[in-house]
Amino acid sequence: MYNIIVCFKQILDIDQMKVDESTQEPILKNLPYRLEDLSKNAIEEAVRIKEKYGGKVIGITYGGDQATLAMKEALAMGVDEGIILKGYKENNPEITSDVLAKKISGMQYDIIIMGNQSADSYTGLVPGKVARKLSIPLVGNAIKLEMADRRVRITRTGEEKNLVLESNLPALVTVEQEINEPRLPPLIQIMAAGRKPMKIEEIQVNVKSTKKVIWNRAPKSERKRIVFEDVDKGVAEISKVLKGEVK
Amino acid sequence: MKAMVFSEKADLSSQMLTLFRNTFEMDLYTTSNENLLNFGAKNVFKLTGNNLYVDNISEKLAEMYKNNGYDIIIIGSSAMGREISSLLSEILHLEAITEVMKIEPKDGIIATERFFYGGKTVIREESEAKIFTVLPGLVDPQPVNSSSTENNISIDKDSAIKVVDQIEKPKSSVNLEKADIIVSAGRGIGKKEGLAVIQQLADVLHGEVGGSRPVCLDYHWLSEERQVGLSGKRVKPKVYVACGISGQVQHIAGMRGSRMVIAINKDKNAPIFNECDYGIVGDLYAVIPKLIEAMKK
Ligand SMILES: Cc1cc2nc3c(=O)[nH]c(=O)nc-3n(C[C@H](O)[C@H](O)[C@H](O)COP(=O)(O)OP(=O)(O)OC[C@H]3O[C@@H](n4cnc5c(N)ncnc54)[C@H](O)[C@@H]3O)c2cc1C
Ligand SMILES: Nc1ncnc2c1ncn2[C@@H]1O[C@H](COP(=O)(O)O)[C@@H](O)[C@H]1O
Repeated sequence: MYNIIVCFKQILDIDQMKVDESTQEPILKNLPYRLEDLSKNAIEEAVRIKEKYGGKVIGITYGGDQATLAMKEALAMGVDEGIILKGYKENNPEITSDVLAKKISGMQYDIIIMGNQSADSYTGLVPGKVARKLSIPLVGNAIKLEMADRRVRITRTGEEKNLVLESNLPALVTVEQEINEPRLPPLIQIMAAGRKPMKIEEIQVNVKSTKKVIWNRAPKSERKRIVFEDVDKGVAEISKVLKGEVK
Repeated sequence: MKAMVFSEKADLSSQMLTLFRNTFEMDLYTTSNENLLNFGAKNVFKLTGNNLYVDNISEKLAEMYKNNGYDIIIIGSSAMGREISSLLSEILHLEAITEVMKIEPKDGIIATERFFYGGKTVIREESEAKIFTVLPGLVDPQPVNSSSTENNISIDKDSAIKVVDQIEKPKSSVNLEKADIIVSAGRGIGKKEGLAVIQQLADVLHGEVGGSRPVCLDYHWLSEERQVGLSGKRVKPKVYVACGISGQVQHIAGMRGSRMVIAINKDKNAPIFNECDYGIVGDLYAVIPKLIEAMKK
């Protein structure tokens, strides 16, 4: 039996994000939210640990007004209880790690699961900072995870070799996308998720960050965008261009 | 300004030393055994120990940072590098910014640029952050004539984490970052055997084969070192041919530097057609053989 905590993040749907042609800035208005990709893998892995070894999964998200949506999806995937920490404004690992660690430090847990890098901001700082604040080992980049004798064993990818690592519990494990295929909960579970316990807590932030955004815009794409729907014509044109490039 | 530079990898170490040698006075800390004495660091510190992992390395680096009066810490961006930066940021109570492409110091403030929104945008920030991880592949390492002083530091403290096994991976066989022509396969090839036709096209074009993340990581049809994208290689060939690749932001982030992009995809609404110079809407198994034939003429 394990007490499992999974931390997940809600992000703007970056795949649907369009760019303003005149300013090159992303258009954020009316963009839907979704669960962050690696967070989904983290939820899936937390639920699998529970299913295989027994225990309970508590899901935590530090989010904005739409966070309930993300929490419902997590509950539908198999998380047992949800805690929404409300007051998230922008991506800032200093603040996020502080908020999460303060909450978790008052809880019972054997293992904490997070994604190794979030799909939108791509910082990868939150897990290590939370682990250090809680004084527990950071066991990173798992593509495989097993529990045995109150220990966790993971396979970690590396460029030259994969490492099999073991740590005592409690520990914080981060997962990579390869570790699993997150489930799509059936409708009945999504409906049932509404009856699972969900707590909402307002958070006051008192951490300072010196970071200021100067600009955030898409690199200009100067591509020609000549697209052929007639295959033979396309092949003729493109092979001509290619012959000029390949000598 | 005095910078502490760390990477466990030789190539990233020499790249960072090349990139910042005119901006900072630098000491390199590394666990690599390769010779890195000719890239402009004042000192090269080799970290040795039986059980080195991110926790005990971070603690040693924090100690060296405090003792040697460094102004900033620059770390090579790898899984290990990012983990070390997050731990260091807590141990030393310093703000960190990861995966940067640029570091410009000015009056105690540092401007950085990094990808955002999954690679769709680049964000420029100013901060008093002191820890940075730097993306690989930003420069070709250039040696200098002078030599660094070599030092050894042994780390005696054990890591809380035990390495119980190591699984060697096949040695790197390609250098996609240097390739002039790359033909990349996406999930659209549908099966591993589909790589044959991709390879044939690469052969006719005298190029290398690359792939999207699913092809390299999820299905292992290609080795990981051939993955192009935000979490893979950032390539800048003369010609990049994307076959059966949808063109998600994380993939585009890796091939945006290509001079010419050609896309083959059966879905005419695939985002890759917004990021290409020339595109053909069609089944790659029908299009590529025709293209090969036309190239041979
Ligand atoms: C943190 C993070 C990091 C990531 N890093 C990377 C990265 O470095 N590199 C990367 O590539 N991805 C990365 N991804 C994944 C990325 O979001 C996409 O999932 C991935 O790029 C999709 O790969 P694909 O285009 O091959 O597959 P899909 O999106 O499934 O696209 C397949 C395409 O093939 C087309 N197709 C199908 N059959 C045929 C046919 N017979 N002929 C022609 N066309 C056909 C389809 O129309 C479709 O457009 C990352 C994701 C995250 C969250
Ligand atoms: N606001 C948040 N709430 C809960 N978990 C988060 C939050 N932000 C990041 N995380 C977790 O930290 C992981 C890495 O995120 P990051 O450090 O932002 O790249 C994510 O995959 C989540 O598991």
